[in-house]
This record gives sequence, structure tokens and C-alpha cells, in this order.
Amino acid sequence: MRRLAADVVVVGGGSTGAGVVRDAAMRGYTAVLVDRSDLAQGTTGRFHGLLHSGGRYVVSDPGSATECARENAVLSRIQAPAIERTGGLFVSVPGDDPGYGDRFLAGAAATGVPAREIPVAEALRREPRLNRGISRAIEVEDASVDGWQLVWGAVNSARAYGAKVLTYHPVTRIDIADGRVRAVHCHDQRRDEEVVIECAFVLNCAGPWAGRITDLAGLPPVPVIPGRGIMIALNHRVVNTVVNRLIYPTDGDILVPVHTVSVIGTTDVKESDPDHLPIPAAEVQQMLDAGERLIPGFRRARAVHAWAGSRPLIRDDRVAADDTRHMSRGMAVVDHLTRDGVAGLLTIGGGKLTTYRLMAEHIVDAMGDQRGERRPCRTADEEIPYAEGSRHYVVTHRLADREADRLDDQIVCECELMSRRMFTDLLHREPLATLDDLRRQLRLGMGPCQGGFCAGRAAGIAVTERVVDAERATGLLRLFLKNRWIGLWPILYGAQVRQTALDHWLYAGTLDIEHLPTPDQEVVR
Amino acid sequence: MRDVVVIGAGLAGLTAALRLARAGRSVTLVARGVGGLSLAQGTIDILGYTPERVLRPLDAVAAVPPEHPYAGLGPDAVAAAVTWLRDELGSELLVGDPAVNLHLPTALGALRPTALAQPSMVAADARGGLTYAVVGVRQLKDFPADLVAGNLARSTAPDGGPLGATAAWVDLPARPGEADPSGLTYARSLDDAAFADRFAVAVRDAAGAGDVVLLPGVLGVRPGAGRRLAELIGRPVAEVPLLPPSVPGLRLADALRARVAAAGVRILLGSAVTGFTADGDRVATVTVAAAGGPRALAASDFVYAPGGFESGALAVDSRGAIAETVFGLPLTAADAAGLVGPRYWAPHPLFEVGVRTDAAGRPVAGDKVVHPNLYVAGGILAGPEPWREKSGDGIAVATAVRAAAMIEGGAR
Ligand SMILES: Cc1cc2nc3c(=O)[nH]c(=O)nc-3n(C[C@H](O)[C@H](O)[C@H](O)COP(=O)(O)OP(=O)(O)OC[C@H]3O[C@@H](n4cnc5c(N)ncnc54)[C@H](O)[C@@H]3O)c2cc1C
Ligand SMILES: Cc1cc2nc3c(=O)[nH]c(=O)nc-3n(C[C@H](O)[C@H](O)[C@H](O)COP(=O)(O)OP(=O)(O)OC[C@H]3O[C@@H](n4cnc5c(N)ncnc54)[C@H](O)[C@@H]3O)c2cc1C
Repeated sequence: MRRLAADVVVVGGGSTGAGVVRDAAMRGYTAVLVDRSDLAQGTTGRFHGLLHSGGRYVVSDPGSATECARENAVLSRIQAPAIERTGGLFVSVPGDDPGYGDRFLAGAAATGVPAREIPVAEALRREPRLNRGISRAIEVEDASVDGWQLVWGAVNSARAYGAKVLTYHPVTRIDIADGRVRAVHCHDQRRDEEVVIECAFVLNCAGPWAGRITDLAGLPPVPVIPGRGIMIALNHRVVNTVVNRLIYPTDGDILVPVHTVSVIGTTDVKESDPDHLPIPAAEVQQMLDAGERLIPGFRRARAVHAWAGSRPLIRDDRVAADDTRHMSRGMAVVDHLTRDGVAGLLTIGGGKLTTYRLMAEHIVDAMGDQRGERRPCRTADEEIPYAEGSRHYVVTHRLADREADRLDDQIVCECELMSRRMFTDLLHREPLATLDDLRRQLRLGMGPCQGGFCAGRAAGIAVTERVVDAERATGLLRLFLKNRWIGLWPILYGAQVRQTALDHWLYAGTLDIEHLPTPDQEVVR
Repeated sequence: MRDVVVIGAGLAGLTAALRLARAGRSVTLVARGVGGLSLAQGTIDILGYTPERVLRPLDAVAAVPPEHPYAGLGPDAVAAAVTWLRDELGSELLVGDPAVNLHLPTALGALRPTALAQPSMVAADARGGLTYAVVGVRQLKDFPADLVAGNLARSTAPDGGPLGATAAWVDLPARPGEADPSGLTYARSLDDAAFADRFAVAVRDAAGAGDVVLLPGVLGVRPGAGRRLAELIGRPVAEVPLLPPSVPGLRLADALRARVAAAGVRILLGSAVTGFTADGDRVATVTVAAAGGPRALAASDFVYAPGGFESGALAVDSRGAIAETVFGLPLTAADAAGLVGPRYWAPHPLFEVGVRTDAAGRPVAGDKVVHPNLYVAGGILAGPEPWREKSGDGIAVATAVRAAAMIEGGAR
């Protein structure tokens, strides 16, 4: 057993927890972030990739619209390399009420969301694949954001302020005595060791799992209702700007260019278990129909991957309706002192990735209130350091990198232009990582071939670099292929069927992966 | 008008074209791409797993279930077809006994069963007590020597005996400043005797302990380099096929295509067949997308060897409808729903879907022949996932030989 102590333990390494640990550390609290798995693999790794301009909410939810617009500007300033300034368009396709555009513009003016109607011809010039029948187009400041880069940036910043980050450390228990939080117990899965962190505060940022964390503290249930949404990535950018339908928010109304792909989404279906989020065939069809309305021919484009995430919505009757101090639209901080008589525990739910910094500000403020102190939040003022500097992401950046090192480095993942050095640098920094953990930072295996060529290479390099042995490398490779498949089989049509057959010829046919010496136990992390 | 149009330039199409041309038929071979042969592992599989490891492939062929593509052929026909191919290509390219599988290390370190292999590979055939000196080339990213050696060392030979392996690397650019060559580029350099000598010295100096030196499958685009290297290295050498571009696969494909051309087959590569015309139930012409507009090719008989899902001959649309893309042939399933599932390692029945035939190899709807002069061969046939059972090559050769024989015999 290992013992640690901190002012505050942040549970959950999604965008919310990452923002919270940074904020707390910047305010001078000693902070430990724990996640049951890797950083940003929960909802934050399964979202749509949109840095909202606020446009989506100008009519339906003006408060959120204003928050999004402000945070969009803040994040663009403090973590530019995680963000591509694609710009966005709201367009009326045939059948949409063109009158909605007027409400939209009025709402935008009222909420402070920059928006400007542009001629249809101009929209079609910018995005030639758009439905030629659109009747209106409004330009907004939507952007595309990499949730992994965002989280790793925030977490690295927190570390620089002294925070500790423990991944693969699920919380197993929260000790409460005399009406106060005393300690968090977690299990270090990679060393199979119990870790106890003594602390006065626990900030529960476990997203859709937040209710399970309060259960571990023995509190009355906090009802979290996971709202599942699916997304589908096409193998290239059918648009270079974010394209939204100019209608009241609904399913499948947004297409986001993210890195080399474009992503259509999403749906919203109540689920009971955030660990088992299906990608139902009917919803896949619904997304393809939605894509077809924006981009005729969408169904004939190549889909490479699908995923599902779940919104962490809290519906809690025990919180008084007028207790809105730490709530803003779409997000809620539950103070378990007023709710349950337990000091030192706060739960946050709802929100968006776009407003993650603001959510963190709210919950850390709430902690300050309980402590009877007000240390100012500085997260909006300070740029998060990135190796790439302060420039916004551009989709061609890896081509430029490649141009520079093409004579002295190898490409391990051709689809995403990931070089051997990029891979080995991260591998040595994260020697306990799975290939999926590395993928989320490097985009290994996320392009059209879905790991067909690069995954085996990556496993091989890990052995050559003496980071893992052959048995673990084989297990990691098996795990990676199995995990890629989760997002592949639901969209197996068109050219991706051909790719998948080729990948099977490679792994089963040429390499005979199925008949490597079998592990006693499959590698799971 | 030709006697026969063969569609497809993979193992099945090339085999059918060569057999027919040798039998005196006038043959046009038309294909969109080069087929799987040149991308694949460069050996000839008959049957590797049922799903247990197969030691004697012809015995296993005799025991396949009735819906298997081998079922209508039987072990003798399969043996005859594969033996013909081996003798046709000669012992510079293919050796082995169709009745006995070899078990050759892969570039992940698995032991892969196959019936015939190239002479540059067979020294690695796994048997108890054998030890491998695995040597990687820093410039070649698809042969991870440490992983290969690590996995071989944890493996048992099919005879139950232990295996051993060591790993080592050579750092030898084929051309100055080339950090990331394809296997093909490297192989071209090894066709040059001076570079091959330097390579051999480097390998000899670097290799660790082991009975057989295991090298990446890039030992020359032309056959024969392996033998020379073994002499210089002073130990038996075996090359391991890599991911595409696969040099051993190219060697087989090049040799077979050269023979097809030499036999007088007219070859139209880069030409997709997009449709056909019928005369009653007979196929009259196939339509070829050619520069300057579509062109009709007429023939008395047609062999359709377009491969399966990997070549695009079988396709699934976004609503899950499965179709054969040129003739619209009936398939064993028309809807992909439920045919792929969430478990990666489980069978995926989608890839078992294909065309069923009569005993002559003609597509059937129910038990009715669709076109009496259309024969199919190779990957388009319905059957178990070929990459799992390692049967694609044997099925391609044997069904192509059958199609040719039926046309030669004038089966109607
Ligand atoms: C379909 C969909 C699309 C979306 N699209 C967008 C978008 O385009 N733009 C936008 O701004 N927002 C979007 N959102 C919202 C946004 O993704 C989420 O609000 C945000 O990612 C939530 O982050 P989080 O940190 O709260 O939760 P999560 O990212 O889910 O993090 C919770 C973490 O808690 C951890 N955890 C769980 N149990 C334990 C335990 N016992 N011990 C330790 N750790 C534990 C989990 O492993 C997980 O990492 C979308 C949401 C969905 C569902
Ligand atoms: C990477 C890889 C690894 C492999 N590994 C193995 C293995 O381990 N074991 C094994 O037994 N087999 C393996 N194979 C498969 C094997 O080599 C054969 O490809 C397979 O058995 C089928 O052969 P085929 O000739 O029927 O089809 P293919 O080789 O797919 O050839 C089809 C031909 O038809 C052409 N074609 C298709 N449609 C049209 C059209 N409309 N018009 C004109 N031409 C058309 C194609 O361009 C191509 O020339 C592998 C294949 C690949 C790609």
C-alpha cells in the first residue's frame, strides 16, 4: 500500500478533470488527479470535436451560447495548438425553415455570438460539396478541437504547477468520517497496489460515471443519465469548415472537419450504462441520411470509424432548484455539504468540452466557498505551453514536419504521417502505455487503414526499444486490433469493406497473428 | 472474337489463362489491377487450419464440409493443380510437397502453415530443436527482429519440440540517405552483386546464435539471391515475407504473368470490366472501360476470376446490400446485417459470402446455372474466411484449373 496526501483529489481525467486539476494547482492547492484508465478516453475521447462558437445555442439556450462564445475565444488564446480555426457555417438545406435564420441572427446579436450572413454563392465557393440547394448561409466562429491535445495540455500545465497525475488508478472507496471527506482509495492497476490519498476535498469529475463515485462515498444516489450519441468519421475532409444545419438543434445536424477526417454527428439516446454504449445500425443510417442532406453523395464517401460517447447529465431532485450559485446553463455543481451533509465533496455534471475551463472555475470556486476563502482563478490568463508553440493547428502540419525529416526518419503510420521518432519519444515517456493510449496522442492507426500497416510496426518497435517484451507487445497488438474493430464493424460498407478484407489478409493471412503463442490472459491495459 | 475472355489477373485468372492458352485457345485476359498474388506472402497455401493446425493438407481437403469450395474438387484435383503450378514455375520459385505443410515463421514470429514455398524460405521450416538467428535491417520497418525472435522463442514446433531464437540488426542503407525504403526498393539493390556481398558480410558479422539465419523477405526481386547469400553468410538462410509490397509475392506474380504473356495471351491490364451483354442466357460480350470509351469483348466462354471483397468484386453498400459488381451474380447472402459482429477474433460470416457454383464451376441460382458459358474461380467463391484457414491460393489455382478444363472439354 502506498500513501499520499493532497489538498484535493480530482476524480476523472476527462476535459473537466483536466481543467479542474490545472485550476486547483494554479490556485496553489496541492492536487492529485486520478483516472481509472488513460486520460481523455471517456466522453472526452468520444465526442464530436467541435469547439462551439455558441451558434448552436443562440435560439435554444442563450446562456450557453454566450458562454461558448467567450470560452471559444479564451481557449483559442490559451491552447492554440489543440485548435484548428476552421470557421463554421450554418446552412438551410431544402426543407429547412428559412425563417429560422432570422431568429438565429437575432439570437446571435443578443448573446454576443459573432455571426454574419453570407451569400449562398460564397458558401458554395468555400465548400463546393455542400448541397447546391441551400437557401441561406451564416458564418460563425466554430472551430475544430482535439480533445486529447486539450487534455494533455491542461494536465501538463497542472503538472508544471506541482499536480500529480495517476492514470489506471480507479477510485475504489472514499472515506468519510465525522461528516468530512478524509481520503480516497484507488487501485494502481499496473502495479496491482492499493493507493490511499489523504485529502480534505474530492472533486468528482467522473462525467457519466459521477454517480458511481458518490456511491463509493456511501451517499444517496446521484442520478446521472447518460445521453448517448454516435459519430461517424469519413476518411477525408469533405468539408474544411464546420457545417451546421440552420435549424433548432437536432440529431445529425453537424459535420466537423477534424484532422484528416470529417465527422458527422450526433444522436441523443438515454442509456443506463456508460460502459456499454452501442452504435445501433438504425442510428448509423440516420447519420448517413443526415450527411446526405448536407453533402449529396455522402453515402458513397468512405466511412472509416464510428464511436459513441455519453453526455454526463445530472438530474437531481435533492438539489434545491434555486441553488444556482455554481450552476450555469447546462452544467451543475452539486455541493454534498448542502445536499448530504458531507463536507469536502463536490460533483460536477453536464457541460461541454468547449466550456471545460469555465466548469473548472465554478467547481474550484465552490471548493473555495466551503473552505471560506477566495483564491482568484487564473486559468484564462495564462497560455498553456505546447511543444508546437502558440500557433493554431493546421491540418498540413505533419506534411511540413515530414518534409523536414524525410531523409533521416521512417514513417510508421502512413495514413497519419506518424514518424518513428514521434512514436519512440512518447513511448519512452509513457512506457506503461497501451498502443491505444499512444494512439490518442499520436493518431497512430486512425486513418483509412485503421492500423492495418502500422499497428504491427508499433508493437515491433516497442520491443526493439526495450520498452516491452515480445509477449506484452503481442498482447498490446491484439488489444489494439480488437479495440479498433469496435468502431469499424458498425460502419463496414463501401471501400472500408475492401480495406478490412486487406487488413485481414495482412494480419491473419500473411502474419498469422491468430496463431502466435497465446497469452494466459489477454492484455487489457 | 476470341475463344475465351478471362477477367482478373490474380492467381486464379493467370492460372486459367495460362492453362487455356497452353491448350490452344485464343485468350484475352482483362484486369483492372494486379491482384492479390503480388501483395501476398509468396507461398502457395492449400489448407492451413481447420481450425486446428493442418499437417497434411490434402487429407484435410478430403474432409472439408460440403459447402466448401474444395468439396466439389477433391484432394486429387487440388494436388494435381498445385503440382502443375509448382512444376510450371520451376524449383527456382516453388518447392514442396502438396501433401505436407511447411511451418514458416512470419514477420510477427508466428509459425504459418503453407504447402509450397520459395526455396529461399524453406530452411526455416519449424522442427523441434531448431534455432533461428533473426537479423533485422534497420532501414526496413516491417521486420521487427526482436519481436519475431521473442515470439519464436516462446513457440513450440508443430512436432512438439522447442524452438530457440536470437535477434540482431544490421544498419545498411541500400542507397545513401534512404532511411525508409520499401521492401521492393531494398530488394532491387540486393539484385546487385556488389551490394549483396556487402549485405552478406554485414549479416554474417551481426547474426547471433542460430541454425538458420532469418532475414526480411527482400532477397532480390529475381529468384536465386538467397542461395548466394547463404553461401557468403555460411549458414542456411531463410527470408520471411513482409507486408506489401511483398517481394516474394511479386516474384510469383511476375513469373506467372511472364508465362501467360509468352503463351500468347493478349493481356489488357488497367481495364475494368463494367458490365456484359447476353445472348439468351449466354454471356455474349463483356464491357471494358477503356481509354476513349467502353469496348465490348466477345468470346465463346468467359472465366470470371475477380477476387472477393478485397478486390472490390464483392461490395457492400451503405445500406448493407451485398452485390457482385459485374454480372450481378446470386450470392449466398444479400444483406450484410448480422454478418459482422463486435468480436474481432470471432468469425465474420460476411467474408464467407460469395458465389456458389455447379460441379463445373458455373455460378448457380438455387441449382440452376446462371450463364452456361460463364465460369468463376478464386476469391469470388463462397466459403470460409480464406485468411483464417489459409486456403486462398489452393482454391484459386484448383478452381481456375477446373474452369480451364471444363472449357477445354467443351462442357455445356
Ligand atoms: C456524443 C457527444 C458529442 C459531443 N460533442 C461535443 C462537441 O463537439 N463539443 C463540445 O464542446 N462538447 C461536446 N460534447 C460534450 C463533451 O464531450 C463532454 O461534456 C466532456 O467531454 C465531458 O468531459 P468529462 O471530463 O466531464 O467526462 P469524461 O471525459 O467522461 O471523463 C470522466 C472520466 O472519469 C473517469 N472515471 C470513471 N470512473 C472512475 C473511477 N472509479 N475512478 C477514476 N476515474 C474514473 C473516466 O475514466 C473518465 O476518463 C459531446 C458529448 C457527447 C456525448
Ligand atoms: C495482402 C494479401 C495477403 C494474402 N495472403 C494470403 C495468404 O496468406 N494465403 C492465401 O492463400 N492467400 C493470400 N492472399 C490471397 C491470394 O493471393 C489470392 O489473392 C486469393 O486467393 C484470391 O485470388 P484471385 O485470383 O481469385 O483474386 P485476386 O488476387 O483478388 O485477383 C482479382 C483480379 O481481378 C481483377 N478484377 C476484379 N474486378 C474486376 C473487374 N470488374 N474488371 C476487371 N478486372 C477485375 C483484379 O484487378 C485482379 O486482377 C493474400 C492476398 C493479399 C492481398
